[in-house]
Amino acid sequence: MNSKRTLFLIEVAIFAALAIVLDLVPFLSFKIWAQGGSVSFAMIPIFIVAFRWGIKGGLLAGFLFGILQLITNPFIVHIAQAFLEYGLAFTLLGMAGIFAKPVKEALQNGKRRSYFTYITLGVFLGCLFRFLAHLLAGVVFFAEYAPEGQPVWLYSTIYNGSYMLPAFILSTIVVGFVFYKQPRLIKISS
Amino acid sequence: MNKLILGRYFPGESWMHHLDPRSKLLAAAYFILVIFLANNWQTYLLLWVFTIFVLYSSNVSFSVYLRGVRPLLWLILFTVFLQVLFTGGGVIYLEWGPITISEFGLLNGAYIFCRFVMIILISTAVTLTTKPIDLTDGINALLRPLRKLKVPVDELSLMLSISLRFVPNLLDETQKVMDAQRARGTEFGAGSLLQQMKTLVPIFLPLFASSLNRAEDMANVMEVRGYQSGEKRSTFRQLSWGIRDTASLLIMLLLTISMIWLRTETTGY
Repeated sequence: MNSKRTLFLIEVAIFAALAIVLDLVPFLSFKIWAQGGSVSFAMIPIFIVAFRWGIKGGLLAGFLFGILQLITNPFIVHIAQAFLEYGLAFTLLGMAGIFAKPVKEALQNGKRRSYFTYITLGVFLGCLFRFLAHLLAGVVFFAEYAPEGQPVWLYSTIYNGSYMLPAFILSTIVVGFVFYKQPRLIKISS
Repeated sequence: MNKLILGRYFPGESWMHHLDPRSKLLAAAYFILVIFLANNWQTYLLLWVFTIFVLYSSNVSFSVYLRGVRPLLWLILFTVFLQVLFTGGGVIYLEWGPITISEFGLLNGAYIFCRFVMIILISTAVTLTTKPIDLTDGINALLRPLRKLKVPVDELSLMLSISLRFVPNLLDETQKVMDAQRARGTEFGAGSLLQQMKTLVPIFLPLFASSLNRAEDMANVMEVRGYQSGEKRSTFRQLSWGIRDTASLLIMLLLTISMIWLRTETTGY
C-alpha cells in the first residue's frame, strides 16, 4: 500500500528538519578548542539519508537543509555567495550516497573493515564537496570585498577547513557507529 | 526548549508584516543587486535612507536588528581592515611597509562596511516579518515557472513545510532522549573527546529510529488520505497580492531610477 515515493519524500523532509534541530541544540555542541569553538552535528542526518536512499536522497536532503537555513538564518553578502553556500554546499553533502550500495553490502555480510572504509569514504566525499563549495564562496566573497593581491584562497581554505575537518571526523564516527550498532536502520522498510 | 526560536519571526501588524511573501522576497533579492550600483557617498546615503525606512516600516525595534548584525561583526571588521590597510590611492596618511592608510582605502572600507550591513539588515527585515511557512509558500510561488523544466516544485515545497512543521517536535524529542540518558547517568560535554563522542551514539540511535518510524506513519496516513505525489494539490494558505505589494515593487523601481540618476549626476557614468 505504501508507495516508496511518499515515504521517501517524508523521510527526507523529516531528516532535513532533524539536521536543523541538531544545528540549533546548543548544549549538544562539542567543545574542541578551549576557546569554545564548536562543531555542529547537522551533517549527520543528511549522511544517514544518503546511505539509506543513495545519492538522490542525500542530495535532496542536503538541498532542503540548505533552503531551511536560508529561510531561518540567512547570511548573505553576495548573490553568488548565497547560491554557493545555501544552494550548492549542503546539497553536495549528499554525494556520500555514491557509497550507499557497498556500505549496505558490507554491513549485510558482516565485513566490518570494508564497512567502515566505505562510510569514511562516503562522508569524506560529501564533506570534500561541501568544503569546495564553501571555499569557492569564500573566494567570491573576498574577491568582491578584499583588495587585489591578497591570498584569498589561503584565507578561505583556513577558515573553512577549521570547522569542516573536525565536523568530518565527528560525522564519520557517529554515522559509522549508528549503522553498526543498529544495522536495521539502514534498511528501507517495505 | 519550545522557546528556542526557529527563524527569527517577530509577530506584528506593520506594513512589512502584511506584505505578500512573494513581493518581500523579490524586493530583497533585487535590493542586493541594486546595492552594487552605489559608487559614491550620495548613492550610499540614498541606500541608507531606504534601509532605515524599511526597518522603520517593519515596526521591530532597532536593537533586534543590531543583534542580527553582531555575530558577523568580526568578519565585517576583518574585511574592512583589509580594505583600509592594503588599498592605495588618493591622499596617503600613513605608510609602513606594505601597509598604507590612504584616502581611497578608508573610503572603500567605509563603503564595504555599509554594503555589508545593509544587505544583512534587509535580509533580516524579511525573516523578522515573515513566518517561515509563509516564506516557503513564497519561494514555492516564485519557483513555479521551473515546473516547465520538470522540477518538482510542489513536492519540494511540501517537503519544506513538513520539515518546518516537525522542527519543534523533533526539538522536544531530542530533549526527551537527552533527559532519559541523563537519568541513566550520562554526562554531556565531560571527559575526553572520545568519551564525549561515545555519549552521542545513545542519543542519535533512538532519535533516528523514532524519526524513521514517524516518517513511515506519516507516509501511510498521507496515502490513506489519498495523497499522490505529482498530483495537483490545493493549498490551505492562499497568498494574496495586494496594492501594497505592487506599491513596494514600484518603490524598488523608483529607488533604481534615483540611484542611476544620482550616479550619472555626481560621477558622470
